[in-house]
Amino acid sequence: MRRFTRIQTIGRKELLDTLRDRRTLIAMIFVPMVLYPAMMLGSLQGFELQVGRLKQERYKVAVESEAAQRWLRAVIDSDPARRPRATSLPAEEIVELHERGELDVPSTAPALRDESPAEAARADVRQHPPEYEIVVMSQADEVRAQVRSGACHAGVLLPGGVPARGESGSAQVTLVLDQTDIRSQIAAAGLEGILKRLSEAWLHERLRRVRLDPQFITPLETLQEPVATPEKVGGSILGQIVPLILVIMTITGAIYPAIDLTAGERERGTLETLMVAPVPTVDLIAGKFLVVALIAMLSAALNLLSIGGTIWLGGLGDLLARGGQVVIPLNMLPWVLVVLVPLAVMFSAALLAVCSFARSFKEAQNYVMPVMVAAMIPAVVGILPGTRLEGPLLIMPVTNIVILTRDLFTGRFDLFSILWVTLSTTLYAGAAVAVAAKLFGQEAVLFADSGSIKTIFKRRFFRPADQPSAAQAFLLLAVVFSANFFAQQWLLKLPGVAGTLRFWFGLAAVIVTLFLLAPMLFALYMRVRIRSAFSLGPAAPAGWLAALCFGLSTWVLAQGWFAFQQTWLPMPPEMERAFEEMVAALGGVHPLVMLVFLGLLPAVCEEMFFRGYALGGLRGSLGRTAAVIVVALAFGIYHHSVHRLIVTSALGLLFGLLVVRYRSIWPAVVAHGLHNGLSGLSARSDGLKPLLERFGYGLDATGYPPPSWLVAAGLLLLVGIAIAVLRPGGTAPAQTLVRGSGADAAPPHSGGDSRAG
Amino acid sequence: MSLPGGIIRVEGLTKVFPNPDGSEKTAVDHISFEVRPGEIYGLLGPNGAGKTTTLRVVSGLLRPTAGRVWIDGQEVTGHPELVKRHIGYLTANTGLYARLTPREILEYFATLYDLPREQAAARIGRLIEWLGIGPYVHLRCGALSTGQKQRVSIARALIADPPILVLDEPTLGLDVLSNRLILEFISTQAAAGKAVLLSTHALDEIDRLCRRLGLIHNGRLIAEGELDVLRRQTGRQRLSDVFLSLVGAEESVFGGRSPAH
Repeated sequence: MRRFTRIQTIGRKELLDTLRDRRTLIAMIFVPMVLYPAMMLGSLQGFELQVGRLKQERYKVAVESEAAQRWLRAVIDSDPARRPRATSLPAEEIVELHERGELDVPSTAPALRDESPAEAARADVRQHPPEYEIVVMSQADEVRAQVRSGACHAGVLLPGGVPARGESGSAQVTLVLDQTDIRSQIAAAGLEGILKRLSEAWLHERLRRVRLDPQFITPLETLQEPVATPEKVGGSILGQIVPLILVIMTITGAIYPAIDLTAGERERGTLETLMVAPVPTVDLIAGKFLVVALIAMLSAALNLLSIGGTIWLGGLGDLLARGGQVVIPLNMLPWVLVVLVPLAVMFSAALLAVCSFARSFKEAQNYVMPVMVAAMIPAVVGILPGTRLEGPLLIMPVTNIVILTRDLFTGRFDLFSILWVTLSTTLYAGAAVAVAAKLFGQEAVLFADSGSIKTIFKRRFFRPADQPSAAQAFLLLAVVFSANFFAQQWLLKLPGVAGTLRFWFGLAAVIVTLFLLAPMLFALYMRVRIRSAFSLGPAAPAGWLAALCFGLSTWVLAQGWFAFQQTWLPMPPEMERAFEEMVAALGGVHPLVMLVFLGLLPAVCEEMFFRGYALGGLRGSLGRTAAVIVVALAFGIYHHSVHRLIVTSALGLLFGLLVVRYRSIWPAVVAHGLHNGLSGLSARSDGLKPLLERFGYGLDATGYPPPSWLVAAGLLLLVGIAIAVLRPGGTAPAQTLVRGSGADAAPPHSGGDSRAG
Repeated sequence: MSLPGGIIRVEGLTKVFPNPDGSEKTAVDHISFEVRPGEIYGLLGPNGAGKTTTLRVVSGLLRPTAGRVWIDGQEVTGHPELVKRHIGYLTANTGLYARLTPREILEYFATLYDLPREQAAARIGRLIEWLGIGPYVHLRCGALSTGQKQRVSIARALIADPPILVLDEPTLGLDVLSNRLILEFISTQAAAGKAVLLSTHALDEIDRLCRRLGLIHNGRLIAEGELDVLRRQTGRQRLSDVFLSLVGAEESVFGGRSPAH
């Protein structure tokens, strides 16, 4: 109980401190409450003004003769949309009436009966009749030139002379327009509407003459009946924008206090004072976390309030309402706020974790940007039309909240998904808080002045290092992640590549470039010694033995796991097909070539990058265990598939274990290569399939390997783990791993012995 | 010479920091000393000698790479929270929350040290009176002068009435008046039975306050013991001469910086 009081005390003080900061208040209150509504309303009014201006503009229309001018004038003025009285009159009479000046009686808008789009367009024209000024030219080319030069907005050409309402046949009217000019488009569209209505009137006239009912020409009339309630329509409109705004605003609200309460406190020297107090670091970070989360939520709530207020009071609702067909479901806003709580919690924790790592305000700001971008991508995925809250998206951070918010607006949600979203988000938040607590108390973060941001960019400041820094590793992880994703997508989009051997060549190029060359060059540039950074030293025999145990067993277990996973997280058929197609592209090549593409290249490159570079960089600040876990998760995520996440992450853990245990990536490379190679070759009849079948191996109907094989593989794996965990890693003790981190607190050894190995 | 009853006992303390390039820097190298209740022990040395690192390890902010530190019989690494309760630590840079008032800061730390409400109020009142914080107790700390901030920091360090005071350059950058007040205050605290571990590079402070001291140079304790004994050993009367003769006179340890002000 005492502990909660203490966290509460810390939280209260941090809140007071933060609320006294003018910058927080600006970010939290002024921006959402004043700036956004003002900007929103301002741009709305500007938009409306512009629309109104375009509608009421006087358009210049060029024609090629006086007769054409007279005719067009009469047609425009007698347009039934603007002059209801004229509807029933034949065109010739309209021309006569017009010339006598009798047509100019004020129009009265009839009450709307139907709400069809055509009628709505007419009503629009009636309310804002655009004016057309008709300019006479001497020939058609001149008309075109006028429009092209922009002197006239549109031109009307009558190739067959002035059309008359004949008994049959059809006269031609050509509209000349500049399709790059919005005004020209509007003028032409307006004229087209007028002419269409005239044509309709003439058609009806013809039909009357041959005594046909107008329905004769529409044997089938298609009608639409929208069933969505106005609330739902409004909700779907809100659902497209509001969730994204809220996500951005929640982060924005959390950023400032997160930096201020961690890196800011470190910079001002108060952190040391605070650490002197007899309070566990976890409690400190918990108190700070509460405040950041609270402010993020307040910020989100104020933004929501502001959006609601702007819609309700500011006329945005009217604009969206489109004549009463849309009702904005303002009553959903409180529920949206509830959903935002876990989001605020997660962001606050993530930002705290990132900022705990920074030694100064500026450094923290540099770290925050990638988090912001990382949050935006899944948020955008969430607002894509057609995404639904199911399958992997249920647990995809940020995306799931965005979709849930959208569903709340449209009233289409269920408790099951709310539960999933809340649970998974809370889990991520908890992990982030744990990381934050771990980083926050680090001695290096508290006191050491090493590795400031300016030394990151200028090579002459770099001092040769054995391992990349955690910041370098994170940076490269992030860059390579997105580069890898886009390169693979691009590769699949190239014509004639997907499903062919060329894809594999492309993939090999991508892998070598991103996972091997990129970290190597980066390390060279940063003056990180390649041999130690990538753990390229030799391994003890036990390492090779453990690697062999892993490599020979995991492919069977993975196969079994996939079959099991298929029962609760089935792979979508398209994905399965795409995957099979990819593998089939290797069907024609020699098994050894396949081994290169599937086994050798990924094993070497990915191990170099993940277990070599990334693990080396992270274990210094995260500690060995946490670094192995983080790198394994990254390894899983890099495979861009929720369905492979568990297996690849688990493999990542095993490979990571090998590397930290034996201080060399080579056993991991072997295990990785064996796993990939055996997975591929076991399915090929010119590979290992016949041999394996002789030993009773084969997948059953649901994809499971034989139970005996599963048991044997499981035992082999356990043996491998036992070798790696139980036996001391024969070579040098893993001491330089623990650079300055008090967490592992291993007894000190001289730093030199690792190099001897 | 290590007498029993040291409330602070430091044995073979070594602290190694990793450099960004992977090499290591030994900030403190095998330091041993002890401080008894009622005693002011001075850690004397030039900037960067390892004084602050030593104090941080003693106060439980850093974990020693090797060696051990006992506070009142408890090993620091084993029970950092417990040990921190016994120590009032004054950091070298007066890190106060700029947006809080002195009173708020004192109240905050009183809660962090689990002081009961009435006791905290009484303690804060006394500290404010002792240190003359009254006139600016309701101003935000950001608006205070260096001397005023230092008084608030000292009040903060004493909030739980700890038996041990660890003071890292308590008079750094202070004017003569504040300087005197703080030195007198330290004397009174020691007279009241507190153990004071004081780091400074101001020789006259050591001269005035300490009977025993340790000389730190390049992370190593080059001399340790009673001031009079050191004087006799070196045959020098002035402390600066004692110091210089101990580190080797050819080395200009204090650089361009005046040791006292």
